[in-house]
Amino acid sequence: MTSREKILNSIASNKPALTTLPNVPIFEGDGSIERFKTVLEGIGGRAIEVASKADCQAAIDEYYSDLKNVASDIVKANVVVNLDTIKEVLEQVDLAVIQGEIGVAENGTIWVPEINMLNRALPFITQHLVLVLDKKNIVANMQQAYDKLENVGSYGVFIAGPSKTADIEQSLVIGAHGARSMMVLIY
Amino acid sequence: MNHQNHPELAEAFNKDFERTTWHDETLWFVRQKRDKAVYPIPEFQDLRTLASEIKDHTLSNLDNYLIEFEQNAIKNGVKVHWAADAAEHNQIVMDIIKSSCKVDGRNTRMVKSKSMLTEECHLNGFLQKNNIDVVDTDLGERIIQFRDEPPSHIVMPAIHLKKEDVGETFHEHLGTTKGEKDPQILTEAARQHLREKFIAADVALTGVNFAIAETGSFVVCTNEGNADLGVNLAKVHIASMGIEKIIPKLHHLSVYTRLLARSATGQPITTYTSHFTKPAEGKEMHIVIVDNGRTQQLGRADFRNSLKCIRCGACMNTCPVYRRSGGHSYDFTVPGPIGAILSPNIDLHKHKSLPFASTLCGSCSDVCPVKIDIHVQLYKWRQIVGQQNELPATKKWGMKGLAKVLSMPKVYDLGGKLARGALRVLPHGLTHNQSMNPWAKARELPDAPKQSFKEWYEENRK
Repeated sequence: MTSREKILNSIASNKPALTTLPNVPIFEGDGSIERFKTVLEGIGGRAIEVASKADCQAAIDEYYSDLKNVASDIVKANVVVNLDTIKEVLEQVDLAVIQGEIGVAENGTIWVPEINMLNRALPFITQHLVLVLDKKNIVANMQQAYDKLENVGSYGVFIAGPSKTADIEQSLVIGAHGARSMMVLIY
Repeated sequence: MNHQNHPELAEAFNKDFERTTWHDETLWFVRQKRDKAVYPIPEFQDLRTLASEIKDHTLSNLDNYLIEFEQNAIKNGVKVHWAADAAEHNQIVMDIIKSSCKVDGRNTRMVKSKSMLTEECHLNGFLQKNNIDVVDTDLGERIIQFRDEPPSHIVMPAIHLKKEDVGETFHEHLGTTKGEKDPQILTEAARQHLREKFIAADVALTGVNFAIAETGSFVVCTNEGNADLGVNLAKVHIASMGIEKIIPKLHHLSVYTRLLARSATGQPITTYTSHFTKPAEGKEMHIVIVDNGRTQQLGRADFRNSLKCIRCGACMNTCPVYRRSGGHSYDFTVPGPIGAILSPNIDLHKHKSLPFASTLCGSCSDVCPVKIDIHVQLYKWRQIVGQQNELPATKKWGMKGLAKVLSMPKVYDLGGKLARGALRVLPHGLTHNQSMNPWAKARELPDAPKQSFKEWYEENRK
């Protein structure tokens, strides 16, 4: 008998009588830009409203003029990042500006599917991360977010603020392994 | 084997009074952060009920959901492996590395993100013996890996250490300045050190927080981003999961992602909630599904719902015994109240003292996001420890004696009278003798009353 059979047989003989699966309601809640911004700031991120998606460039020029290597399919970029980009190039990226799909006001998180990432490693290896978000796509909570999300594709991540850790004496440090800062441009 | 029990290990931890107090207060602070994160969610209690019922249902149909998960994962191009126990899990991981990572003239390099399952299986030691360089990449895990210690908490593995300890460890292993203890500077040193490891890795191993039967996907939650960084830079991704990590549908994640981080650290959500479904072009993804005692626990009607645990650690942060005895005093992969109900299933004889590492106050059950009746199970394990004749002699005969006395009112009355008299006349050194009266180790007995309640009631009843 294979381990697979052994495990499945053991479950079949040990599991309790079938119980019903509850329905998860789509809870109501505050899905305002204001709440999204406040919560995101509370977890170390930052949100700026811009007039239109085309105005993202001006915001990047204003806030990140000191960063050299930029990877993006939304604003001017000087590092080409795609599926084939090697680690040694990815490692040099200072700023990645990519599209976020769904923002969640209750926890400040944003859904980023693989197709938006340019390369799966980019949102994590970049020193700083900017996500661009359509304000129409901000929802109140995770029930509404997963309801809006038709599928998760091959790979996708909810990202909430910059990388952080509190593993040394519970002291919060921003910038553990991933992005040292994270900004959301809402249009 | 000379195995120290919980009271002995807890006593050792308590020798450093200041550190014990600090540990107690730090964990309580995390519990308070949890409360602040939980109270603003009006439907939080509804979410706990849903989380509990979804898991109940899943356990009642677990075999079919695992099969559904496997079929969908295979369709996604993921290789699925099954391990009956820890040894088989470790061997499977080893075999995947051997067949997928061809390296010449050097050791294979693995980066790992947090996985309590691989701690349970003692994977690191096994791989290192087989010429695999294993680097734990979660900051807390890296610290304890340098120190060759097990984690003392499932979410905050290095919570037993002070920043001075970490500074000393990093001075030794990473060459930071001696005496440097600023968490910001120490974290930066670890970031630089681990970035090199991420870039150089051949294979990345992660745990699994949730596995979705409907889609064959699995979700990994981190704050540091170490799981994604490791997986997306290495050629091979191995994910190790216990059979109980399954949930039926994608939208069920909406319940657990609202509960997990709020219960664990008081954050609204973890920084990264990563959904892995298909490997990237030219890369490999493997899932190892592990039993290692879980199906046995599923067969124990009184204890099976311990398998609903989502490993948030809230029961530890709130537990007055855990906070004052430290995670290492449990001597089990998962410490705290949840560990005390999981461990007797694995080895009752070795872990017989753990169900007693509790005041039965019930705070663990109150904060559990999936409503496991932890304190009830602690009580039930105590009964089994007694039935299997595993109680220490003093406790066993003490209980037997007490049961006799309590069943004979006259003897009880006389005993009470003698004790009240004795407490008044005997010297303090005798009544508070620590070997005869361990209760008095850190406590004063109250003044003995003149009469018993029974006597008072009879006198005053009109």
